[in-house]
Amino acid sequence: MSTNGRGFWGDLSQLTRAVGRAMGITLKNLGRKPVTVMYPDSPRPYPDRFRGVLALTYDHETGEENCIGCRLCEYICPPQVIKVEMLKTEKRNYAKTFTLELYACEFCELCVQVCPTDAIIMMKSFDLATSDRREMLLDKDRLHAIGLDFAPSWATGNKLRDMQAPPKPARGEAKGPATAPEGRAVAPEGRAVAPEGRAVAPEGRAVAPEGKAKESAE
Amino acid sequence: MPPLAYHALMGFIVLNAVIVMVTYVTLLERKFAARMQSRIGPYYVGRPHGWLQPIADALKLMMKEDVVPTLADRRVYNLAPIAFLIPCVLIFATIPFAPGLGVADLNIGVLFFLAVSSLEIVGLFMGGWGSNNKYALLSAMRAVNQIISYDLPFVFAALVPVLLTGSMQMSAIVSAQAGLPFVAYPIIGQLAFVFFIVATLAAENRVPFDILEAESELVAGFRVEYSGMKFALIQLGEYAHMLGTSFLGALLFLGGWLGPGPAWLGPIWFLLKAMFIFLLVTWVRWSFVRIRVDQILAISWKLLLPATIVLLLATGFVVAVGGSRVH
Amino acid sequence: MPDVEARHIVEVGYGGNERLMMNMGPQHPSSHGVFRAILVLEGETVVAVDAVIGYLHRCHEKLAENLTYVQYPSIASKTDYVSAMTAELAYVHAVEKVGKIEVPKRAQYLRVLAAELQRIASHCLWLGTWCLDMGGALGGGATVFLYCIREREMILDLFEALTGARLLYGFHQIGGTRYDLPPAWVAKCRETVDFIERRIDEYEGMLEDNPFFLVRTQGVGVVSRELAQEVGLSGPLIRGSGVGYDVRRAEPYSSYEDFDFVVPVETAGDCYARYRVRMVEFRQSIRIVRQVLDGLPEGPISSRPGVKSVGQVRIAKGEGYGRVEGARGEVGCYVVSDGGAKPYRLKWRGASFSNLAILPHVIPGHKVADVVAIMGSVDPVFGEVDR
Repeated sequence: MSTNGRGFWGDLSQLTRAVGRAMGITLKNLGRKPVTVMYPDSPRPYPDRFRGVLALTYDHETGEENCIGCRLCEYICPPQVIKVEMLKTEKRNYAKTFTLELYACEFCELCVQVCPTDAIIMMKSFDLATSDRREMLLDKDRLHAIGLDFAPSWATGNKLRDMQAPPKPARGEAKGPATAPEGRAVAPEGRAVAPEGRAVAPEGRAVAPEGKAKESAE
Repeated sequence: MPPLAYHALMGFIVLNAVIVMVTYVTLLERKFAARMQSRIGPYYVGRPHGWLQPIADALKLMMKEDVVPTLADRRVYNLAPIAFLIPCVLIFATIPFAPGLGVADLNIGVLFFLAVSSLEIVGLFMGGWGSNNKYALLSAMRAVNQIISYDLPFVFAALVPVLLTGSMQMSAIVSAQAGLPFVAYPIIGQLAFVFFIVATLAAENRVPFDILEAESELVAGFRVEYSGMKFALIQLGEYAHMLGTSFLGALLFLGGWLGPGPAWLGPIWFLLKAMFIFLLVTWVRWSFVRIRVDQILAISWKLLLPATIVLLLATGFVVAVGGSRVH
Repeated sequence: MPDVEARHIVEVGYGGNERLMMNMGPQHPSSHGVFRAILVLEGETVVAVDAVIGYLHRCHEKLAENLTYVQYPSIASKTDYVSAMTAELAYVHAVEKVGKIEVPKRAQYLRVLAAELQRIASHCLWLGTWCLDMGGALGGGATVFLYCIREREMILDLFEALTGARLLYGFHQIGGTRYDLPPAWVAKCRETVDFIERRIDEYEGMLEDNPFFLVRTQGVGVVSRELAQEVGLSGPLIRGSGVGYDVRRAEPYSSYEDFDFVVPVETAGDCYARYRVRMVEFRQSIRIVRQVLDGLPEGPISSRPGVKSVGQVRIAKGEGYGRVEGARGEVGCYVVSDGGAKPYRLKWRGASFSNLAILPHVIPGHKVADVVAIMGSVDPVFGEVDR
C-alpha cells in the first residue's frame, strides 16, 4: 500500500500507529468545548474598528448635522454608491440630499477616511438583511437614524488621518522620535468627543516626545 | 396466537422500530461528528439538542417534488430505491433482540443475513444506471466493484464466531458467549472483530472506503439524481443496513443481550452494544480521508481476503483441536 | 504536450475502452471556485483534460484604468480574495516602484506582518479544502476542514481588530498602510500564533504518516523540475519540484531581507512534496511574525498620509513590474503610468493563472480521484485566474 519499502509488518505497524493517532486526535476534540457562537442568542463581540453599516452623524454639542456636502466621499467611493447634493446657506453648507446604495457598498472605509468633518462613519453592526432591496438604498434620514441606532465604530475621518501621520510635535521636539504605537493608539480611544479631544491631545502629546527624547539621550 | 399472526405482528413492530431507530441514529451521528469537529450539530429544531431534526428532515423529504430526469429509464429509476431498501430492512428479520423476541430466529440466521444484505447491490446499480447521469453510472460501477470485493472478507470475518459456536443460529451464538464475548477470545476474536469492522466500513460505503459517493468528485454518486421521498428511502436503506451490521456485530462479537442485571435489561444492553459499534464506525469515518478505488480493491483482494481466509482456517484448527462451544 | 483532442472526441458508448467525456463543471464541490475541466476518461483513467476558465472574469484590469491609485487597493484584494493582503501588496508595491515612493520602515514591517499572517490563514484554508476534497464532505476531510477553519477564524479575528474587515481588507495604501496596530494587539497576536503552532502539530498528526493520506498523495501529480520551469510555475508548486525560487529571496521587498527564515524546497514534485512545503511555510511564517513583533520600529505608517482627495496620489510617467510572494506563488502587477492619478494600463500576473497551466501536462494518466488531489495541491483561487 504505502511505498516506503518497510516490508509488510513495517507497513502494518505504521498503519496501526497512524490510525491510532488520527482517531486519538478526533477523540481529543470530542472532549473540547465547541467553538460555536450561538448567534443571535449570544451577542457577537465587535472589535473597535469594525466596519459595519454606514451612518451620518450629528455634532455632539450643537446637535447640527456634521455633513457639509463637500462631496469628497462621493468622489472617492470606488463603486460610486454615494450621491450628494450640496445646499449652500450663509453660515455653512449642508447636504441637501445624500443617498448611499448600501447593496453595492464595498465597506472599504475610504469615505470615512476622507470626510473632513467626521460626518460619515461606520457602525458596529452588520445586521443588514432585508427582504426588499429598496430598503438598502439609504437616504439622508435613514442614515441619520442608523447613526443613532447602533454603536459607532472607532474610526472617523480625523482619527484615521491622524493614525496615518502623527500630528506634528510641539516646537523643539521636531527631532524627537514619534510616539509609541501604544501611546498613539491610546490617545484616539480617549478622544470620545472629537473637537475637545483634539484640542487637548497636542499638549498631551507634547509631553511624551519630550520624555522620550530624554530617554533616548541617556 | 397462530405463528403466522405472531410473525406478522413482530415483523410490523420491528419494521417500525427500525425506521424510527434509523432516523434517530442519523441525529446521533450528526451530533457525535459535530462534537468531534468542535461544533454543536443540530440544535434549533427541537431545542436544545435538535430532537425534532430527524422528523423535520423526514417531513421535508416527503414534501419535495418528485423529479424524474427526462432521459432516465423510468421503471428502473423508480424501482431502484425500493430494490435498495428491501434487502436492507429484511436483514432485521433474523436478528433476535432477546431470547425468543425476534421476527424469526432461523437456524441459518447468519447465512440469511449475509446473503440478503449483499442484495442491495442490485438496487444500487439500478439507481446508477437508471439515472442517465455519468457521475451516477461511474459511482455505481465503482460501488459494485467495491461491495462485491468486500463481501467476501465480511462473510469470512462473520463466520469466525459461527465456527467457534458451531451453529448459525443467532441466539445460539449469543448463548455461547455466556462466559466470554467472542471479541475477548485470544487473538482470533480480536482479529476477527477488526476485520469485521473494516469490512463493514467498506460494505457500507463509509469513509475511508466511500469512493461510491465521494461528494467532492462524484457529488453523491448513484444518489445524485434522486430527491424527495425516493432519496429518503435510499438514505433509510443505507442507515438501516448500517444499523443492521452494527446489530450483527454486537451479536456476533460483543455478546448480544448478555450483560449484568435482570433478563429484561437484555435488549437495552444489545442496543448499547450496537450503538457502540455504530459509534466506532462513525469515529473512523470522521477521522480519515478516503482512498482511491484501485487502492480499495487492492486492500480487499491482496490484504483482507487472504487475512480472513487464514483467520478462518486458524479458527477451524482451534475448534477442531479444542472442541466447539455448541449450546 | 498532450493532445488537445478533448473537444473532438465524441462519446461512443459505455463499453470497455471507449472514451467517455465527463465534465467536471463550473458547479462542482471541489473545483475550488468556478472552473470547468472537461475530462476525457478511458475507464477510470483520465486521458486528456481541457481546462476552461473565465467564469469569474470581472475586468479588474480595465477597472483599474478608471480608478485612481487611492481607490484601487481595496479592489485589488478581490483578485486573490483568500489571501487578500498579498494581493493588495502586489499592487501598491508595483505602483510605489514605478513612482519611486518611499515607504517608512514601520509600514514595511507592518506589511510583512500582514502578509505572513495572511499566508498562515491562506494555507489553513488550503489544507482544509484539500482534505475536504480528498476525504469527502462527510468524512475525515470535513473534520480537518473544520479544524483548519477554526484556526483561520482566529487570524481573521486578528485582522478584524486591525482593520475592521475579515476578508477584504483595504489595509494597504500607496506609501504605507492605512491602519496601525490597536492597543493590546501585539499580545493577542503572539498568543494566537503560539496557539496555531500547537494546532499545526495536530494536523500533521492526523495526516502525516497516515497511509490513507500517503497513498493519495505520494507519487500523484509529479511535476518534474524542467516542466515546472518551462510552464512557469511559482510558489509551493515550483518549490516542491526542486527549484528554490521565492520572490522574498530573489528580489526582497518590504524589508524581507531583515528577517531570518527558511525557504523549504522538496525534490519529489508530487502532491506530498507540495504539502510538505506548505506545512514548513506555516512554521516559517510564524517565525517571521515573531521576528516582526520583536523588532517593530516606531515611526509613521505612511509616507503619503491622510489622503483626502481622490486624485491626490500622482505617479510620474513610467512603467514597471512589481511582484510579491503570495501564498500561491508570484503575484505581480505591471503598471504603466502616464503621469496622472490613474494608471494607463495595469496587468495582473496571477499566480494561480500560471499554476493552472500545469494541469494538462500532469493530469492525463491519473485516475479521476487523483484529479481532485492534484487540483487541491495546485491550490488555485479563481479570482486570481480570471481577474
